[in-house]
Amino acid sequence: MTYDYVVIGGGASGMTAALILAKGGCRVALVEKSPRLAPVLRGFSRQGLHFDTGFHYTGGLGEGETLALCLDYLGISPGIETVAYRQDGFDLFRCDRSKFEFAFPVGYGRIRQSLCESFPGEEGAIDAYLEKVRTVCRALPYLSLDADWDLASSMQNLHGASLQDVLEGLTDNRTLRGLLMQHCLLYGVVPAEVSFAQHAAIMGPYYESVSGIRGGGRNLVSAFETSLNQHGVDLYCGSAARSLEFSAAGQIRALVLDNGQSLSCKACVASIHPQHLLEMVPDSCFRPVYRKRLRALEDTSSAFMLYAISDAPVEALKGANLFLAQALEDDAVFEAQSIKQSPMYIAASGYRAEDGAHQGLIGICPTPDSVTRKWAATKRGSRGEDYEAFKGEAMQRMLRRIEDALPEIRGQLTCVEGATPLTFGDYGNTPRGALYGVKHRIGQYNPMPRTRVDNLFFSGQAVAAPGLMGAVLSGFLTCGHILGHDRIREELKRCR
Amino acid sequence: MTDQEIIELVNSSLAEEFELELADMTAETTIYDDLGLDSLDTVDMVIVLEGAFSFKIREEEAIREIRTLGDIHAFVIGKKRQLEAGL
Repeated sequence: MTYDYVVIGGGASGMTAALILAKGGCRVALVEKSPRLAPVLRGFSRQGLHFDTGFHYTGGLGEGETLALCLDYLGISPGIETVAYRQDGFDLFRCDRSKFEFAFPVGYGRIRQSLCESFPGEEGAIDAYLEKVRTVCRALPYLSLDADWDLASSMQNLHGASLQDVLEGLTDNRTLRGLLMQHCLLYGVVPAEVSFAQHAAIMGPYYESVSGIRGGGRNLVSAFETSLNQHGVDLYCGSAARSLEFSAAGQIRALVLDNGQSLSCKACVASIHPQHLLEMVPDSCFRPVYRKRLRALEDTSSAFMLYAISDAPVEALKGANLFLAQALEDDAVFEAQSIKQSPMYIAASGYRAEDGAHQGLIGICPTPDSVTRKWAATKRGSRGEDYEAFKGEAMQRMLRRIEDALPEIRGQLTCVEGATPLTFGDYGNTPRGALYGVKHRIGQYNPMPRTRVDNLFFSGQAVAAPGLMGAVLSGFLTCGHILGHDRIREELKRCR
Repeated sequence: MTDQEIIELVNSSLAEEFELELADMTAETTIYDDLGLDSLDTVDMVIVLEGAFSFKIREEEAIREIRTLGDIHAFVIGKKRQLEAGL
């Protein structure tokens, strides 16, 4: 049997692309290296509690909003229940040095009001900032289904002003600027490198609504699995894609897996780190300049991640996340090299199946992958005692920082698992353990969905944006190139 | 750099990175029909030129209007002269 499409990579974007193609009448195979689909999005269980790794909260899931429409279209919505975050403050920002605090509320009106209260005299800058974010979001074709489809704007987005430049042009208030920059932790690019447009496209949906999913990423993956099954997508899990085979005419005709199995196909969507695709194809299929471009792509930062159980649910994290920063006024913190100085994201986790409460938390601290490079050649499970000691010490430092920030739970936390750049590399299948894959930064040209090979396409966060929403939208963007953007956008509109 | 040096560097850089024959490259050569590049290659063309001449290209409109190698030569020479004049 020959598949119309083989999709490589069973994360959020690969599952999305597979579903859209199957809904479009294609015979689709979905290939995932791990034993089960979407290991990062799915998370894992320890001591009867479920912990999320890849997904915590998102914008765009409010009624009629973009991500909700996409999940409706994909047949996912019946399988999940969204949980709204705290409207008066879904993200609490706390500055170690100045003790400044700000609860970022949901909704443009409330955001304006809270910012104006905390920064009197800055109304003009605040209004201008929020209007700029809104303008960007209105103009993007998949973020806003009524926007004009104009691919030409994509280059402008890459080369527009940076987030830092725009904020510096709006206000001299360093605390306000620093506060609005803190959300760059959600996409892993520092404010001087990310274009304002990319920042706005990612943050805009959060400004309108903020939701989690009951049961976390695991329930979302399970809803994807149900729909993939209903749409007849064949799953091949547990063996990685090894190489693509080409016909004499230079077209892909099969994908060979590590276990030797060959999947005959008419076309392929690669929803993996672009550098991994280069290992699967002969050099001759891309021009030298393109191969060089893909090889040179810079990734987002990696991270340490702590998973801890608490004796009781953490009140401060009910419907809200905590962002810690040493100093909001100092941009250098985004590239800090120590857990103590680096910014940190803390969220409720440790989901109890019986009552839906969270009895633990996770903490994420960006860190360069160089911290674990000396163990890069070792294999998961046998990295050695020195690695385990290093990881244990990193987790203890994160635990102490969290206890300092939340003294009310001091002594109540137990670390049950930890992740380092190597862990992210293993489960996310990125070469350097990047938290959000390839960077979207000014001056870096990420791959487009189309490639020189007529029947080979890219999808994934590298082509659109990171996060659940970026990954899902990348699937729509890629399939739009295949099936026609007008058709896909019309079908999405019908979900409204 | 003289105009001729610029033209030679444009041609040799493109030839290497796009695997083209230098002998086929004249000012009249059309990049899409004769050299077989397509819109997908535009970004890589920009990257090659940026790398060869150490400047950043932000003139999207001008890039989109390029049809022949001669158009690229004129664009790069113009850009180089602008930079030299401190504009």
